Amino acid sequence: MRPAAPPETFRLVIPSQTRYLNLVTGLAKRASLVAGMDDATAAKVSIAVDEAVTNVIIHAYKGESTHKVEIELSFLPATMEIRIWNTGPGLLDGEVTLPDPREYVKHPRKGGLGLLLMSRFMDEIHFREAGGRSECCMVKRLVG
Amino acid sequence: MADLLIQVREVDGVAVVLPEGFINAHTVRMFEDTLEKLVVERRFNILLDCSGLNYISSAGLGAIMGLIETIRENGGDILLCSLAPNVQTIFDTLGFTQLYRVFPSAAEALQALAEKA
Repeated sequence: MRPAAPPETFRLVIPSQTRYLNLVTGLAKRASLVAGMDDATAAKVSIAVDEAVTNVIIHAYKGESTHKVEIELSFLPATMEIRIWNTGPGLLDGEVTLPDPREYVKHPRKGGLGLLLMSRFMDEIHFREAGGRSECCMVKRLVG
Repeated sequence: MADLLIQVREVDGVAVVLPEGFINAHTVRMFEDTLEKLVVERRFNILLDCSGLNYISSAGLGAIMGLIETIRENGGDILLCSLAPNVQTIFDTLGFTQLYRVFPSAAEALQALAEKA
């Protein structure tokens, strides 16, 4: 039996500045289309990536523009995986509590919607710390 | 091209806000400033015409959420129209279509506001 081919992967490293968000989300959308997703699904992936990178810039790095955000996209046979790393504080799987959208409807307020969008638009989300870095891994399964 | 351009025009007492481009964490301040200026000017009937909006992230949704109570307490509302499919998906996913009245076109939204007046 031949070993499985390694995933095709590429990485982008950006300064921790929101002006690069469009660059990253555009790349995520194009990559999703290359992976075989339709336009609507690719748009969802790009939004999830926007939210994840924004979380890093605003929360992990507190808006400081001199850090790096590393984004890795991996094409696997049945999924696309997106990993986002930072060297600031991050979330861990057990710490994540998603807001209830019904509460937002009852009591409109700002904040907390990014994680909800990420969880609704991706099939899996994992947070962990490894090697002194914080990682957010998002998985989208390819249909068909 | 700029990530976001915003035009505001007045139609029959309604402030029609036309964002063109992307509303994300980078551009949200401009969007928020536009809405806050309308509130300061006591222009509480607002139509957000999304026909030129390619994309809105939670940062932009937060800007709307942050002002909606003030606007409604003053007898106004934020209506939305002409949502692109991906923008509509975001609103649907978060249940926001229960919070805001969404219309297919600006003309239908303005008609609804005229009937309310």
